[in-house]
Amino acid sequence: MTFVRAHMRWIAGALILCLISSAWLVHAELQRARREFETQAGIVHRVLSLRAVEHEAILATLALLDTPATAEAAHRLPAIYPRIVTVLRTERTQTWAHGTLGMELSRAEASSRSAGRAWGLVSGMEQGRLWLVLAGEAASHALEIDLAGLVTDAEWPFAIDAPVRIDLMHGGHRWRIHSGADEAGGWRFGFNRPLDVRSQPFDVVAERSVGWDELPWAQMLASSAVLIGLMAGAAALAQQRIARRRAEELLRLGQVGRLNAMGELAAGMAHELNQPLTAILANTGAAVRLLRDEPPDTETARTAMEAAAGQARRAADVLGRLRRSVERPGGAERVQVVDLRAAAEAVLHLLEPRLREAGVRVGLEGAGDFRVQADPIALEQIVHNLLTNALQALLRVPATERRLTLRLANDGARASLTVTDSGPGIPAAQRPRVFAPFYTTRAEGLGLGLSLCETLAASMDGQLELLEASGRGAAFRLSLPRVSGQGMRA
Amino acid sequence: MHDTIPLSPLIHVVDDDEAVRSSLALLIGTVGLRAQTWPTPEGFLAGFDPEGVGAVVLDVRMPGISGLAVLETLIARGVDMPVIMLTGHGTVDLCRRAFKSGAAEFLEKPVDDDILIDTLQQALRRHVASRARVTADRAARQRYAQLSGREREVLGLIVEGLTNKEIGRALALSPRTVETHRANLFAKLEAASLAQLIRHYACLVEAGGP
Repeated sequence: MTFVRAHMRWIAGALILCLISSAWLVHAELQRARREFETQAGIVHRVLSLRAVEHEAILATLALLDTPATAEAAHRLPAIYPRIVTVLRTERTQTWAHGTLGMELSRAEASSRSAGRAWGLVSGMEQGRLWLVLAGEAASHALEIDLAGLVTDAEWPFAIDAPVRIDLMHGGHRWRIHSGADEAGGWRFGFNRPLDVRSQPFDVVAERSVGWDELPWAQMLASSAVLIGLMAGAAALAQQRIARRRAEELLRLGQVGRLNAMGELAAGMAHELNQPLTAILANTGAAVRLLRDEPPDTETARTAMEAAAGQARRAADVLGRLRRSVERPGGAERVQVVDLRAAAEAVLHLLEPRLREAGVRVGLEGAGDFRVQADPIALEQIVHNLLTNALQALLRVPATERRLTLRLANDGARASLTVTDSGPGIPAAQRPRVFAPFYTTRAEGLGLGLSLCETLAASMDGQLELLEASGRGAAFRLSLPRVSGQGMRA
Repeated sequence: MHDTIPLSPLIHVVDDDEAVRSSLALLIGTVGLRAQTWPTPEGFLAGFDPEGVGAVVLDVRMPGISGLAVLETLIARGVDMPVIMLTGHGTVDLCRRAFKSGAAEFLEKPVDDDILIDTLQQALRRHVASRARVTADRAARQRYAQLSGREREVLGLIVEGLTNKEIGRALALSPRTVETHRANLFAKLEAASLAQLIRHYACLVEAGGP
């Protein structure tokens, strides 16, 4: 739960992106399905129109070639066109044979005669039948057509089990000529166009339903997975940057804190030492004056000098007390097994943005086992100080010449880290004093960094030294006691 | 002129540190000045003689009342003794505040003995001079008050530079009477010469009027 709370923004962002991408994919898929459906419906409409024209043509042909011989042949029509169920022929003087149907056929014949074209009789639609009547000079013909057979299974422009329904409609009556699977819910597309054949005045109504299972789930899942992966990567990167900034801030705070403490210490020390020094100066001054007198007051002068000596001892006590209080308590207890290489890498990682900004080429050399006995915090501080100093030095040379090399080495009982920079180096005159407290070559420096580092190194039984300059730049080497073998892990 | 300084000046040393107090007192003693030490500011404020001639050496940082607060109290009470502030670590801000509050001098600890003595002696000289002026003014005022009305009139005309004869005409007195008044007035004002008379009393005549 804490994970969710800590990363709420990223999670919400990822969810929103996934939703947007999925919605877009669904939209695209529906568009595609609609275009496909409209094409298919158009094909169905064209096929049905063709059929209707064919029926008229058959009737016209029958009327044209109306002889007893052709009348025989007409009875074979259903064998050629399976959708034609029955072919009837009636002499002009006769009536249609069947009862109710006969009356309706007669009416249709009359309509056909007055219209001069084939006449459709839709009353049989409930049974899926259509009668088409054409009145002729000598005899009239009627065709009974099976609506369900208008389009054969192979002719549908979509899979036979596709969720598409095709209806023919006329005057509120509907005859389904194809029923596909009907999906509940989801989306529906519609198509409605009349047949442009006047004898068979149907509307072709098509409906396509898109079910949930037709959505591009795999693509949606894949795109979401990619997006979540990207977001997680970005979050991790941001997290890493924050963590690094925090670590740097902590290190800087630590240094500021130490400086503040030192300021306090200096103020306290000044007060504690000023009192005895004031007394010493006043006493010795008085003694000098008393001895200068004629005759000299040696007795009082001696008392003054004794008082001065007492005050000098008091000043010495102050310093002794101070030193004891500053000594790091239990410094040896914090020493543990530390990987010198990992420590160097951690500080490099911390300073990486600043090094990159300055265009410094960084090299970390040396392979092997560099486990040492050290206080991890002190070690990090020393390395950080050395690298910061090197960076400061490198900023004084052109960017193309900025090179920083960290070299790890094992030297028997000790492991060492040598930090070499390609900066201006340290002038020979300053070399002996680099570790002296309050000695600095930088205007804004306090001159305590290297001094503190040396003290820290010494407290861990280590050593920090300035190496002889070989060519340009400066090289500092920190060496620490190694951990030998597995036995010292504990 | 009479010597108006009854004794050698008394230097008050106010510091909570015994060693500092006694060593400063010893040092001050070597140049013939008397020193009195006070371990607490409260004790000093309650016990010292504000009328006496002298100076105050005051530590800025003391438990209880701070040196600056003591200084402000002294100024508020109208004490005219010079105050020399001593501080362990003087900042510019502290120094400015001290001078604004009326400190005569501001010295950093540990203070060089020569500098302290010089500072003290200069401050004392200025203090004694101003005290002498005040004392002289006060004495002159007292003597002037003893004059009669006629004597004051005569003094006013003398100061204006009139001769006895002219004064007699101006006040309708005989020259002899003027002569008598003039002799009385010189005696009462303890003036040895006309120049001294004019130097010390001209301002009183102008201020007080005839």
